[in-house]
Amino acid sequence: MKKLFFMASLLCISAMAFAQNAVNSSMFSIMEARALGPGTMSGRVSAITGVANDNGKTLYLGTAGGGVWKSTNAGTSYKSIFDKYCQSIGAIAIDQKNPTTLYVGTGESNMRNSVSIGNGMYKSTDGGENWKKIGLDSTEHISNIIVHPSNSDIIYVAVPGALWSDSEHRGLYKSDDGGATWKKILYKDAKTGCADLLMDPSNPNILFASMWQFRRQPYSFNSGGEGSGLFKSMDGGATWKEISNGLPPKPFGRIAMTLAPSNPKKMIAIVENKATGLYISEDGGDSWKSQSATMNVCARPFYFSTIVVDPKDEKRVYRPAFEFAYSDDGGYSFSNASSDGGWVHSDMHALWINPTNTNLMYLGTDGGVYMSIDRGVTWMFQHSLPVGQFYHVAADNKDPYNVYGGLQDNGSWMAPSSTPGGVGNANWSRLYGGDGFWTVPDADGKTAYAEYQGGNMARIELATMKGESIQPKKTLKEDKLRWNWNTPIVIGKKNPKNLYVGAQYVYKSTDQGRNWNRISPDLTTNDKKKQEQEDSGGLSADNTSAENHCTVFTIAESPLDENLVWVGTDDGNLQYTLDGGKKWTNVSMNVTACGIARQAWVSSIQPSQFDKNTLYVTFENHMYGDHKTYLGKSTDLGKTWIRLDSKEFNSFAHKIVEDTENKNLLFLGTEMGLFCTLDGGANWFRMKNNIPEYALVRDIQIHPTTHDLIVATHGRGIYILDDIRPISQMNQETISKDVSIFPTPDIILNNGRFGWGGPEVSGGWGTGNAPTTPSIQYYLKERVSSGKATIDILDDKGNLIQSMPATIRKGINKVDWNLRGTPPRVAAGSTKMDGAGFTAPMVLPGTYTIKLKIKDKEYLSTVRCIHDNGNKDLSLIDRKLVYDKAMALQAMYIRLANTIDTIASLQAKLKADTVAFKKSTSSKVIYDDLEKVRAALMATKQTSMFADEEKIREKISELYGTFCSMEAKPNATQLQAIASLEAELKAQEVILDKVRKRCSAAMVY
Amino acid sequence: MKKLIALGMMLFIAFQSMSVSAQDLNEIIKNHITAIGGADNWNKLKSMTSEMTMKAQGAEIKLVVNQVQKKAMRADIEVMGMSGYQIITDKEGWSFMPFAGQTKAEPSTADDVKSSQDQLDMIDQFITYKDYGKKIDYLGKDDVEGTDCHKISLTDKEGEITTFFLDASTYYVIKEVSKRKANGKEFEMTKTYSNYKKLDEGIVFPMLSGGDEGEMEITKVSINKPIDDAMFQPKALSELKK
Repeated sequence: MKKLFFMASLLCISAMAFAQNAVNSSMFSIMEARALGPGTMSGRVSAITGVANDNGKTLYLGTAGGGVWKSTNAGTSYKSIFDKYCQSIGAIAIDQKNPTTLYVGTGESNMRNSVSIGNGMYKSTDGGENWKKIGLDSTEHISNIIVHPSNSDIIYVAVPGALWSDSEHRGLYKSDDGGATWKKILYKDAKTGCADLLMDPSNPNILFASMWQFRRQPYSFNSGGEGSGLFKSMDGGATWKEISNGLPPKPFGRIAMTLAPSNPKKMIAIVENKATGLYISEDGGDSWKSQSATMNVCARPFYFSTIVVDPKDEKRVYRPAFEFAYSDDGGYSFSNASSDGGWVHSDMHALWINPTNTNLMYLGTDGGVYMSIDRGVTWMFQHSLPVGQFYHVAADNKDPYNVYGGLQDNGSWMAPSSTPGGVGNANWSRLYGGDGFWTVPDADGKTAYAEYQGGNMARIELATMKGESIQPKKTLKEDKLRWNWNTPIVIGKKNPKNLYVGAQYVYKSTDQGRNWNRISPDLTTNDKKKQEQEDSGGLSADNTSAENHCTVFTIAESPLDENLVWVGTDDGNLQYTLDGGKKWTNVSMNVTACGIARQAWVSSIQPSQFDKNTLYVTFENHMYGDHKTYLGKSTDLGKTWIRLDSKEFNSFAHKIVEDTENKNLLFLGTEMGLFCTLDGGANWFRMKNNIPEYALVRDIQIHPTTHDLIVATHGRGIYILDDIRPISQMNQETISKDVSIFPTPDIILNNGRFGWGGPEVSGGWGTGNAPTTPSIQYYLKERVSSGKATIDILDDKGNLIQSMPATIRKGINKVDWNLRGTPPRVAAGSTKMDGAGFTAPMVLPGTYTIKLKIKDKEYLSTVRCIHDNGNKDLSLIDRKLVYDKAMALQAMYIRLANTIDTIASLQAKLKADTVAFKKSTSSKVIYDDLEKVRAALMATKQTSMFADEEKIREKISELYGTFCSMEAKPNATQLQAIASLEAELKAQEVILDKVRKRCSAAMVY
Repeated sequence: MKKLIALGMMLFIAFQSMSVSAQDLNEIIKNHITAIGGADNWNKLKSMTSEMTMKAQGAEIKLVVNQVQKKAMRADIEVMGMSGYQIITDKEGWSFMPFAGQTKAEPSTADDVKSSQDQLDMIDQFITYKDYGKKIDYLGKDDVEGTDCHKISLTDKEGEITTFFLDASTYYVIKEVSKRKANGKEFEMTKTYSNYKKLDEGIVFPMLSGGDEGEMEITKVSINKPIDDAMFQPKALSELKK
């Protein structure tokens, strides 16, 4: 037994040792991605609520795929507060008795084809700073949470439940202990969930629940069934009775309902049935009357489930739906909001009315949040929410490159990856409308391709944004073309002149879509049962191409051979051609042999850049209720497969990419997070790097020249992790050392690439630019807890140029050297701050030593600083001239500081002899004469930045600053100014010499 | 053999889950106090003078802080040839910050003096928090710059929260985030600490601290040396030295 235990411990220790040596995300935590957002088009907002008693200052937003956002200033700015958890939000509730307590239900319940999935309930007791998971993990979608107004322990949670499968986790839940335990208090069957819940504020024991039977399949949607119905409880959910008096005959679909807080007997419901209509009750739901309503009020019940009555005025009713409608007569008639404040994004899901000032309200749409201060008549867009839902991202080869991408319900856009002042809302340009998906630049630099849902694609001229439709059409020999909601448009990786698109067939063009060749037969299973989209929707027909099926979903040309093309479909087929499309081979049965579901969507294909026979493929099967992460690798052109898996994975996979330099470095994008492996897929870690840990990662690109990792998220916009070479170059040798300094690439000597451009005027979301000067990078096995860490820069003669603090984090560290020496000392005793003390001339080209000192050990490296040949305004000779002049000014500045010190010391000496100083007029006169020189040398009177005082020091300082930042040949006046200042300084020095002599004489006495 | 591996795995799993489960908060605090030199040594602290420099790309800002335990504190700052100071005592406070255009020392408001009183206690907050009616909560583990940390919040009587991140291997505080409200605004201050060093009286203290404004290094520190009361008068340091 002892032996057994010993062996077990050994096993345990070796496992631990391996784990400690493994690469993990914390090693790279210094590398923070830039969140490009933008807030320009924003994204779907699913929940809005606010604290009732703080004048509406504190707001919480829940988004479709961007987590939870908090504002403490009524929406002027927002902060993301849920970055470590599931990003799909269904509902948020505040305990208004203790408003720092809040609940978040994950899993949005606007049940469209692209909706994400949640993983339960979360609670915070400190206003969203810290969160605790409190159960209901398997509910997948949560539509509403209500906290009892007077008993904070009682919480109700409405759970529609799984969208793509049967589930017993649906229904209405209640907790009597603040979320510690839950019991299900209303349940119909595994197909019917609880879509909504109302509580009578005058009697919290009265509850109304709407039950909804619904189901999606990859190729159809069904809203409605015998399970749907409206229920009422009088005893806090212990018992329920169905209410139907006055409602239409069943079956029902989804019911949107509300009651008037000022008169809870007054209720309104929109009941989906064969003829969906509006119903009004005046007796607390016991009886209902049908009321005619427009299409906008009643359309698409599965997607528009919000209706709200003003908290104070029972006549004022709001219906956010396809458009925003309001009623002033209790729901009998509705008007649409005005567009005077600008277009309001259609498709609305959330509305919060400030209960103390009901003129003020916040509206959540498919395109962000709007605020109204006139009861919903006009709306203002809030620009600071970067929650766009990208499907794909692409980049061109310009310098700096542009990113391109299409978003759910928000068209196709592009923006520079860096630009003067940083990338802000105003830098984004729209290419195309509708729902956006693949948006890809052509290699000609002037053209891009974009689309809207169902394969409606165009060639866009980027100079004008004019679009020409290029969608291939069927011939008589072909079946009706089936275009996926998210139709692939792909440029060849080997030959960028090849443009591919896919319906059930693959089409190829070599002339920018002007002519097409169909290069494949139907590559799908062509299962006719999965092609009945015209009957989709259930009680309300809904055929928007979102359910189109048996289509090509992904296309990839090998980076090594343009005739090798891989194609994946949404119904599980994976096929390739080796001859540009003459013959196709289906390898999907080989894939299933490694445990990947047969009918899973082929979500991405990465043919290797290092070996023609190798490829990585992601599959996703969530539309069959299976959330497993499917990633397959084949090294024999698809004949055999291994499944790459990890305990870190917890959701379905959208995208796999291989690094351009290190074949063992892969990135995997999933519905819940971005993952990385450095050993070809054996071990994976979750990427953090300023990207939400559970981000919905839909697409990833690695830029071939900048090595940037570009990530498209479905709810947090675009992220760019600049230059991932530190990850790609990480190896076991580095990891095993305590300290390892990486080679610094050559540094081009300039003040960065872009000017500032002035303050951002358009507001909203923005991010900085990619760094243009390489950092000094090193690896530390452990954080330095005790002892100093510094970096010294020395020139080739060993002179110290600058000493800087070094960072001490575990893993990779980055320190930026400003390419300058040490600033001069500033003379004491001025009344004005002087900037010269913060600057020094940029170093001259040469090789510099980097001396990293960690505790008592030194680690050396070198860096080559080279002249910027790209700058035609500054030759190498000019650079030397500028440097020499700056150093001359620095010497002058130091000389002046020394002179001032001399004066101060003389003055102190004169004053020290207090007796003499009081008696002797000459001492005082000398003192004052010294003061005159001091006052001529530097500002001694200025007390405000608005009353400038400029003396010799300030003039030298200004000119010194100009030369230090100069990136052009100096002009003659600038050079002449140095001589003038030298003369001015000299003149004062002559005066001082004379005073000094008198001073020495005076001191004798 | 199979059995053996299974058992090994089980033990491994048990060990793993043990190592990640929340440690008892009191134990963490105890370890922290031991790491920083122990409560007895800290309680010997009566006065402290620290000289500090802040470096930003080669330029330097100098700071001298004089503290008398629970009585008074004075910070002198020198930036680009200008000098200013701030004083807080148990009764009053003064501020002279010419960098922002102030022309003479101005007294602090009674409210400011009152709210600054807990700054006069130099002893580590995890030793004294109970004396001030503060409470601590364990918020789980978190990652700070790649280092595994215990996250602990400290809430004062007014409900203001400071969150500390203690390195799970050394028990030193490596990061501190405080949330404050003032004039209708909410703001957050983050500080980082490193280069812990044993000083006189056996207390262990971070010689480097970082914040939004840059990194501050303690270059010289003297403990329990007498500090003249005159130091806490609103006069320039140069005048006081005479």
